[in-house]
Amino acid sequence: MRRRVRSRCATLAAALVAVILAAAQGSSQDRRVVRVLAERFTFTPSHITVKRGTVVEFRLRSDDTNHGFHIVGSNASVIIPKRGRGEATLVFDADAAGRYTFECSKMCGAGHSFMRGSITVEE
Amino acid sequence: MKTLIVSSLAAVALTLLVICPLYAQPPATPEALPIEEAGEEAATAGESDQSEQAPPPVVRASQVRRDESGAGSQTGPISGYMDFHLNKPEHEDPRLDFHRFVLLFNHSFSDRLRFIGEVEIEHALVEGLEESGELEIEQAYLDFRLKPALNFRAGMLLAPVGIINERHEPPSFFGVERPFVDTFIIPSTWFDAGAGVHGTFAGAWQYRAYLMAPLDATAITADEGLAEAKQSGFQSNVRNIAGTGRLEYVGQPGLTLGASFWRGETSFNFRRVESHVGLIEFDGRYHRGPLGLRGEFAQVYVDGADAINDFQQRATGINPNIARQMRGFYVEPSVRPLPKLKYDIGAFLRYENFDTQFRMPAGVLPLKQFDRSAWVAGASYYPDPDVVLKVDYTVIRNRSALFGSVDSLNIGLGWWF
Repeated sequence: MRRRVRSRCATLAAALVAVILAAAQGSSQDRRVVRVLAERFTFTPSHITVKRGTVVEFRLRSDDTNHGFHIVGSNASVIIPKRGRGEATLVFDADAAGRYTFECSKMCGAGHSFMRGSITVEE
Repeated sequence: MKTLIVSSLAAVALTLLVICPLYAQPPATPEALPIEEAGEEAATAGESDQSEQAPPPVVRASQVRRDESGAGSQTGPISGYMDFHLNKPEHEDPRLDFHRFVLLFNHSFSDRLRFIGEVEIEHALVEGLEESGELEIEQAYLDFRLKPALNFRAGMLLAPVGIINERHEPPSFFGVERPFVDTFIIPSTWFDAGAGVHGTFAGAWQYRAYLMAPLDATAITADEGLAEAKQSGFQSNVRNIAGTGRLEYVGQPGLTLGASFWRGETSFNFRRVESHVGLIEFDGRYHRGPLGLRGEFAQVYVDGADAINDFQQRATGINPNIARQMRGFYVEPSVRPLPKLKYDIGAFLRYENFDTQFRMPAGVLPLKQFDRSAWVAGASYYPDPDVVLKVDYTVIRNRSALFGSVDSLNIGLGWWF
């Protein structure tokens, strides 16, 4: 009887440890949703700081015309739909520390080239 | 004991089998795509919006290029905007005017080196030696992008002053015509040759600081203020250089607060006269939900206005009555009550006060007909966010007992592409 109780306790303890380990493994890659509003000629927010290992999901919405969202140095670029026509999504896996620049990649007016921002990935 | 160990190992194995996949298995969302696949998705998504539920592209920081090896030279598609107006001044015949036809060009030599150009035809027709429209290069510059906080720019630049001068696509402002303050006090579209720096900092601030060709004092008038005093890059005299700058706060969605200045010697055409033009400007824009509000204040200082008046009187026999200070401001509440509808509408009311004879040199009386105010009420209909049909009625008043003002009905069609 005592042996059976011990066995069940050990089983429960092992299961608990497994759960904690698995949870710890999952939290090593945090997810974060960042909603960005684009309008002539700004992104708001235009600067985002995250910890290394975070997966950032950018939800991009425009308050006027089509804008682009491009992370400089990558091949990825999305077109942000016009006002009232939904949002675009781009995922940034912050797996390396540093500063990354994003910009509007679709000509949106006379001040198009001011539309820039940055992502800082901290250790 | 053996039973205990076996039982524990079995429990751990079972637990891991059950639990780990819950955490390790990629979610159904496409951001967990391998980066190779994501690259293809990115290429696909690059030229279309995501309305078709295409999986979003994934960018891994570790694979972002730090050099420019992958950034080839490329020319972007042509963009532009057009403004087509019907103006019906009181007691006058209506006029149709294709006011602006503007094309924008861009080319990327690399991620760091860009070209932007903007060519405009105003009033549709350009002929030599006759009063007609204008063909202008409003922007043609190279951007040297170092980092977000510091970038260099040189070429034909827009003066970074006020709301409208850098932001004048027809769907982006209410009213068929641009505000009077942005015409007579701030001479938009104000462009000239120059060079400078610009950037963003602290996550919420943008700045521009340029050296540009100065204004020409011979073209300042009592009626239109600085509107015709631009050299516009036509063999601009740069015996003296003007300095201009703008600081903007853009840290909250929907809110922009700005301050601008301009200061430059203007008397290069008067060898024995020294005059400077200084301008300070403050503006704000805010919109939340259906409601919007924008306002602007600008004041011009013409140092040496008395000397300019004397010189012009001796040269032409007419005193131009140039003020030593001009001032203008406006406030414009607006509403776009149906933001959820596919076809958007908006309405606004704007009060403007613009006085190009605000403070006069000693011994010179102001011309009261140029101390003006205006009420502009109107509506906009957007069949597409980039297309706008505008209508407004403009009531202008001045402080003169002798000169009347002309109200007008205006209808405009504008579009951006």
